[in-house]
Amino acid sequence: MLVELNDAEIVRQIGTGSSREAEAELFRRMAPRLRLYGLRHLRDEQASDDLTQEVLITTLEALRAGRLREREKLASFMLGICRLTVLGMRRGAQRKERLLEQFGPDLLPASQPSTPQLDHGQLAQCVQNLKERERTVVVMTFYDEQAGADVASFLGISEANVRVIRHRAILQLRQCLGVAS
Amino acid sequence: MVCSRPLDAALLADYWLAVLLAPDEEAVELHLLQCDPCGARLREVIALSKSMHRLAREGSLRMIVSDASIQRAKDEGLRVRQYDVPAGGSVQCTVTAGDDLLIARLAANLAGAQRVDLSLCDQQGREQLRLPDIPVHPGSDSVLYQESITFAKAAPDNVMIARLLAFDESGIERLAGEYTFHHMRTMPGPGA
Repeated sequence: MLVELNDAEIVRQIGTGSSREAEAELFRRMAPRLRLYGLRHLRDEQASDDLTQEVLITTLEALRAGRLREREKLASFMLGICRLTVLGMRRGAQRKERLLEQFGPDLLPASQPSTPQLDHGQLAQCVQNLKERERTVVVMTFYDEQAGADVASFLGISEANVRVIRHRAILQLRQCLGVAS
Repeated sequence: MVCSRPLDAALLADYWLAVLLAPDEEAVELHLLQCDPCGARLREVIALSKSMHRLAREGSLRMIVSDASIQRAKDEGLRVRQYDVPAGGSVQCTVTAGDDLLIARLAANLAGAQRVDLSLCDQQGREQLRLPDIPVHPGSDSVLYQESITFAKAAPDNVMIARLLAFDESGIERLAGEYTFHHMRTMPGPGA
């Protein structure tokens, strides 16, 4: 069963040029992971989708050409492509149209795991239940997007202490929301 | 798929916030490219981050904020109604439908305070709510308190007394400032 294939086997099968299914499995498996990378670095869903497509196609191109020698290092190989692609996107380099034309849109994943929806009212209650410092740290961090140094300066504590407070608050919020695992 | 060494949500939050050192970030990214359960956990962290952003924009949290937070809100186009009150002072206040955040700047001498509580009282001075050990910027001569705008918009005419209580090293409490807010409802609806 293809789903059970490990990365090295997917790389091997694509390298032989005989397995369209292995290519599809590569896309299905890696697309959601690449999208997260894109969200983290590009902070934009559309740009993340573009990055996902570009990295997948570039990877496929390389695997078909047998350019990945150490098959078990697929993730590391793709991480390198991710970095170069983000740099390229930031420079405005776009190869997407040409690559899509070459490889066809049928391999691109149709659906992606969506970001889970949190109960807004419950979250509000959970945040209100935090200690004052925890609430301030969480809001300054996630809303203001203030660096740890700025938060530390405001609170008159160390950055390490801010990190501890943030971690504790996140844990409490996750527990309060029932998503802690 | 089962992860044999799951990444902690706090670590993933640090990753999302881009505060990890490069080697740590690389290790997290390599892991995420091989692990769907941790990817799902990162999506939860992202959802939490987005929801927190929305929650903060709504202005419904009662909390201490910073000048930077208020500036950020203004930069985002939010309308901030702010009252600056000296220690021992009182102010006539209201909110309108167009206001997004309600802020009170409470001036006080907090020098030497090891801990500061904010006590919110009714007109008779009976404490209704206490925010213990509020974050106070060292050397600051004021505290920025955000009142829930949702609550304020629905509240009838009333008087609220806020007190800043400073505790010294030996735990002795002193009144650092008392502030009286005469809230006048200007919005239609129940309680008007």
